[in-house]
Amino acid sequence: MAVDLTTGAINKMLNGEVASEADMTPVLQVTELKLIQSKRPNQEAINRYKVSLSDGILSQQGMLGTSLNVLVTSGNIQLGSILRVTQFVCNLIQNRRIVIISNLEIIVEKCNIIGGTHVQAGMPNEPGQQLGGGAGYVNTQSNGGYEQQQARRTDLNGGRYGVSANSPQPQVVVHNSSDAGRYGVSANLPQPQVVHNNPDAGRYGVSANLPQPRVVHNTSDAGRYGVPATSPQPQVSQRYGTGSGYPETSPSIRPYGSAIAGYGGSGLEQARAPATTAYSRPVQSAYQPQSPPMYVNRGPVARNEAPPRITPVAALNPYQGRWTIRVRVTCKGELRRFSNPRGEGKLFNFDLLDSDGGEIRVTCFNDVVDKFFDQIVVGNVYLISRGSLRPAQKNYNHLHNDYEIHLDSASTIQQCQDDATIPRYQFHFRNIGDIENMESNSITDLIGIVSSISPTGSIMRKTGTEVQKRALQLKDMSGRSVELTMWGNFCNAEGQKLQNLCDSGVFPVLAVKAGRISEFNGKQVSTIGSSQFFIEPDFPEARELKDWYEREGKNAHFTSISREFIGAGRQEVRKVITQIKDEKLGTSEKPDWITVCATISFMKVENFCYTACPNMNGDRPCSKKVTNNGDGTWRCEKCDKCVDECDYRYILQIQLQDHTGLTWATAFQEAGEEIMGISAKDLYYVKYEHQEEEKFEDIIRSVTFSKYIFKLKIKEETYSDEQRVKATVVRAEKLTYSSDTRFMLEAMDKLRTGDANSLPVKTESSNYRSDAFNSGIGTSGIGETASVDARREFELPAANQVGQYGNQYSSGARPVSGMISCNACGSNGHVSANCPSLMSEPQGEYTQGRYTGGGMPRQHVGGY
Amino acid sequence: MDTSSPSAFVNGALLRRYIGQKVRTVIQVIGSDTGSVVGKSTDDLQIVVRGSSPPNPLTTYLEVIGIAESDNSIRAETWTNFGNSFDPQNFNELCKLANGEFKHMFI
Repeated sequence: MAVDLTTGAINKMLNGEVASEADMTPVLQVTELKLIQSKRPNQEAINRYKVSLSDGILSQQGMLGTSLNVLVTSGNIQLGSILRVTQFVCNLIQNRRIVIISNLEIIVEKCNIIGGTHVQAGMPNEPGQQLGGGAGYVNTQSNGGYEQQQARRTDLNGGRYGVSANSPQPQVVVHNSSDAGRYGVSANLPQPQVVHNNPDAGRYGVSANLPQPRVVHNTSDAGRYGVPATSPQPQVSQRYGTGSGYPETSPSIRPYGSAIAGYGGSGLEQARAPATTAYSRPVQSAYQPQSPPMYVNRGPVARNEAPPRITPVAALNPYQGRWTIRVRVTCKGELRRFSNPRGEGKLFNFDLLDSDGGEIRVTCFNDVVDKFFDQIVVGNVYLISRGSLRPAQKNYNHLHNDYEIHLDSASTIQQCQDDATIPRYQFHFRNIGDIENMESNSITDLIGIVSSISPTGSIMRKTGTEVQKRALQLKDMSGRSVELTMWGNFCNAEGQKLQNLCDSGVFPVLAVKAGRISEFNGKQVSTIGSSQFFIEPDFPEARELKDWYEREGKNAHFTSISREFIGAGRQEVRKVITQIKDEKLGTSEKPDWITVCATISFMKVENFCYTACPNMNGDRPCSKKVTNNGDGTWRCEKCDKCVDECDYRYILQIQLQDHTGLTWATAFQEAGEEIMGISAKDLYYVKYEHQEEEKFEDIIRSVTFSKYIFKLKIKEETYSDEQRVKATVVRAEKLTYSSDTRFMLEAMDKLRTGDANSLPVKTESSNYRSDAFNSGIGTSGIGETASVDARREFELPAANQVGQYGNQYSSGARPVSGMISCNACGSNGHVSANCPSLMSEPQGEYTQGRYTGGGMPRQHVGGY
Repeated sequence: MDTSSPSAFVNGALLRRYIGQKVRTVIQVIGSDTGSVVGKSTDDLQIVVRGSSPPNPLTTYLEVIGIAESDNSIRAETWTNFGNSFDPQNFNELCKLANGEFKHMFI
């Protein structure tokens, strides 16, 4: 229902022409509504409502008669309501005109604020706040409806109605509520222009000199507005979706034109009756002549058929303001959920490519995900606008762009015709030979012929989950071959396909986009979350490769830059104990893994185990040291739980000796059990619970001086300024003479045949790398790189548990002509482990070690 | 340790070198009789061991120390059960090394 406000009424009221209802009963809109409580000494507080009534041009303060209060409280009168004032008086109070309203008719309860909110000069609340006042105004005026509108608007406008270049929503709100405010805030439009145009446009205060087409356009919008609030949205988008999809007639007025239309439209869309053609027309008529200075013409968008100004992706930067790009989606990531301290969220990203070859990644979070996720299809071309540019996260984003786009709810994505100038994919292929020289962990694309592929295996990750892994060999024209490892889904999908092709004798060309180079037995390439495989692709490089392979590749010899992976992945390096010191094992960055054949010459019996957390963390128990709560329960810090029964885990400190020397080592649970032959819990019980000292001693005695093959992990660690080389027993096998003899014989053979190295020196195992499972963007704490610890030796129970435990070892004592000299203090007759000077050392410094998951020994390693 | 009469480590082939001298070897028992045990040497040659008191029962492997009578028989003075698991190959290699390259380290 179209309602016209009685324009000019306020003016007349203010200048005295209209003093009471006898003169006229104007239709006015409530633009402000405030409760005032007046206390009188002899009476209770009286509630009166102060209102501001507007006729579309001016507004005036007034007070509602108390009899009308009920209408306010019941909601019949609210902000925006249109009323016909049927009984009123205009009084001059303290130089102000105040309208006292005794009776009125409610015409429309709910309506958007119409017209300029020019406040009468002299009114206390709006001194010269005309434009800014609009802003102020708005804020006080916001109500539910507006908020909703605002929300709508943003959706609608998406970026089209950039009232201010990147206007945050509040501004929008402003605009919404009052045209004056709207226009004023955004564009420094002088208010007068807004307001004082023709009376018809008085409500909006816009000039009615907009060209017709605009009007037309808007009218339909208006029509739109007349409809119930729910529909406009889609309509709007469609309308504006014509042509290039941007609803701007001309760049200069772009924001405004749309603003007007938009605001006129969306602003009012919620409106019931009042939001109608009446308003829309004038609305559109505004701004055409005024091109807001802020809106320098950048990039987007002409309405209708004018082609949008497209920015090349390579030119995007955060300082640019509005931009539009026409791009093809090359890769769409999965929907990922995350939770960070701020709460939960979800995100997804996709990669874009434009016709110049520029690439950029786009990320969407939370609500924006919902908006765009379904819309994005790989391979389609879209026009994207109004996102923000952030620096790219090089960890996850491997495209050649310093920035990435973050879309927000103001962004727009418009599908458009396929553009043949935009390539489907973009690669930066490297030769396998180049890869050898590239840094680890860098990302590259590569293309090669698959020469072999092995079946899927599964690996246990450190977290306990299993992962699929599959390897294949790629060869290319550089004469090199490299092993490509596929993780997770790649194993099954692409892996199978490749396997089939290989089995059938064809050697397919495989192009890989975004493979990570890792150093693991030489150089290897592995897949990450955002890798893409292209089997038998249709690129010129692929064809070239294929031809070359047919001609020569098949028979050529290839040097592999990935050395062969041997079974358990670690070559057994047999060493003698003195070599640990001599060769300075463990001092390099990575730990050294060796095997020694040695005897346990001593074992510390105090604190051979600790109380551990039994909670399962995936497949493995947490194993962190638990503290006694005193009441029989045990508390684990890491899991933050209490348990009644704790595990007992070994933490044996043993002295190993062979014919060359002696060293200390620590054996944790698995190795400990192997050595002792009895579980830690049982042993603990024997000693402490049952107090069977003798039995305990027997057990210990039987263990000492038994010979084992120990697999040791040697690593130098820093304990409060001191470097100590620590050995952890990873595995202990009882020595079988027969196999050991064989080993010896082999060694002798090698010696005899004059091999340079009778014992292989360095293990590849030190090149165990975590093939990081890069599942894509990890912003906001998604924590995606779950490192796959490709250690095959899963009896590394405490893989990182070379924590500090009480003592310092590994300073072997070297018998020198029969005398044992202590490395620690230099004197003779004892070894460092027994060194009296060390005994008095405060143990505290060592016991605070970092127990990375291995659990703390619950002791101080005291004296012997 | 009584080193007055050292015995040389022999296998089937090396036995003939030490006829009349004290030798020691490990054989895999094939059959036993009163007063003699027939066994297979670690290099798969047959050896007969005669002697007064072979242990009873016999395990699979048996070490004998005695005087070599011929190139395939020994008159045993000492018999020792070596159990059922034994690595003949290693022993064989030992014999070869002990009589060859590292002879100086033995007798």
